[in-house]
Amino acid sequence: MKTVMKTILISLSLFVLQMASTSSSFAATCSCAGVPLLSAMDTSSTQPGDLYLNYSTEIHEMSDLVQGSDEIRDETGLSRSSVSQVISASYGLADKWTVSGLISYIEHERSVGISAFSKNSSSGLGDGVLLLRYTPFYITPFSRHELSFGAGARLPIGKDDDGGLFTLSEDMQPSSGSVGEIYWSSYSYAFNQAATVQFNVSANYTINDDENSRKYVFGDEINFALGISQNIGSKFAYSAGLRYRQTTADERNSFEIPNTGGKWLDFVPGVQYIFNDKLSVGVSGRVPLVRDLDGVLQFTTSYSYAVNLSYAF
Amino acid sequence: MLSKTFLCICASFLLTLPALAQEEGELAIDFSGIELTRGDTITLSDYRGRVVFVDFWASWCLPCLVSLPAYEKIRNELGTEQFEIIAINVDENTEDGLEFLEDNPVSYPVIADPEGEIGIPYKVRSLPVSYLIDQQGEVVASYRSFSPGDEVELKRQIQSLFLP
Repeated sequence: MKTVMKTILISLSLFVLQMASTSSSFAATCSCAGVPLLSAMDTSSTQPGDLYLNYSTEIHEMSDLVQGSDEIRDETGLSRSSVSQVISASYGLADKWTVSGLISYIEHERSVGISAFSKNSSSGLGDGVLLLRYTPFYITPFSRHELSFGAGARLPIGKDDDGGLFTLSEDMQPSSGSVGEIYWSSYSYAFNQAATVQFNVSANYTINDDENSRKYVFGDEINFALGISQNIGSKFAYSAGLRYRQTTADERNSFEIPNTGGKWLDFVPGVQYIFNDKLSVGVSGRVPLVRDLDGVLQFTTSYSYAVNLSYAF
Repeated sequence: MLSKTFLCICASFLLTLPALAQEEGELAIDFSGIELTRGDTITLSDYRGRVVFVDFWASWCLPCLVSLPAYEKIRNELGTEQFEIIAINVDENTEDGLEFLEDNPVSYPVIADPEGEIGIPYKVRSLPVSYLIDQQGEVVASYRSFSPGDEVELKRQIQSLFLP
């Protein structure tokens, strides 16, 4: 009996969630759909006059149904995914100053069951990010430490009202439709003079107090990451790290949106092939380890993986 | 929209943008050091009147395996009447630099700079990095990294500075 009730409850919740995704008058189902743009940005310090270009594409599967910290069996066969393509650039303005920017193209897709009518999708330009960074000291042959601070903004370049007659919910929109303030910091330590083995810890905080055209305000977001990276010879490198992410609940008209916000801890591995001192290609992934999500039920990250290509001019 | 605090932070960043480090066209920062194998004192300004190529390297720097022999070849071809190379080894352990030189001997002077007394004023951030300095002591070009074949263009640039 208990199992039947649980199934009914989940199915009912999923029905509500699906309804919400097709109408702007309902809440976004979760804040997890926010594409992690900052992770696609190269945040290492850049020498004066140097320009780095990076292209990355990330496939983000978000079909895990979670109640608090527990994954619940999804009876509906809901599938939710995003593909983000990000082009970022970093330019060394001066000895300790770097400016970075990115633009994104986002594709969202959500379907329940096999009916063609239960499928929603959107695509288009997403948000952009502009970040100014100050690096008071950086890793050199004479220094093992690097510290950076930065501030910037997330800018709504793309559309946030996709969906035609039935505007899709906020988490299905390519762009957030609102400006966010970004504060960022990073510290790296090189274990040897050649800096082939490094420890890195970084944190960023995004304040979202700007509402979009539909009076929706995304929750504030904190990311904290630590990891280690190592170059093997001149051609290969790998990295492994942990990323903690916490978001507060989204709001509309100052009322909290249920089933938004939470805490995530992910394992983030990566490998890189270095063609030469200008060109490299890398593959990285994100595997959820622990999550503690607000509200009754949320669909959240199952896994994600990204491929990126970097070129230094 | 963006808060006042945020805008103030951005504005203060921009207002405190410092000037660039030593650039081409500036007088090269003078330095002195003890030559690694011979023990005599080497001073950059003593080479005024000659074209000088200052090269920062370390034993762990993979491109340096190729660049040092290439620079040696250039020096042998151009002679030392109008030209000299000064190499600055930045290995934390100078013994590592000496071992490297046993396998890759060079005839030009090599100075040890484990603490960065020369490298820090020259803003050395990665290796190899080198500077081409003219007869008046002015930096005319700087180079980062090294790939086989780069020595052809470098030799041409050095020769273009030679007096007729």
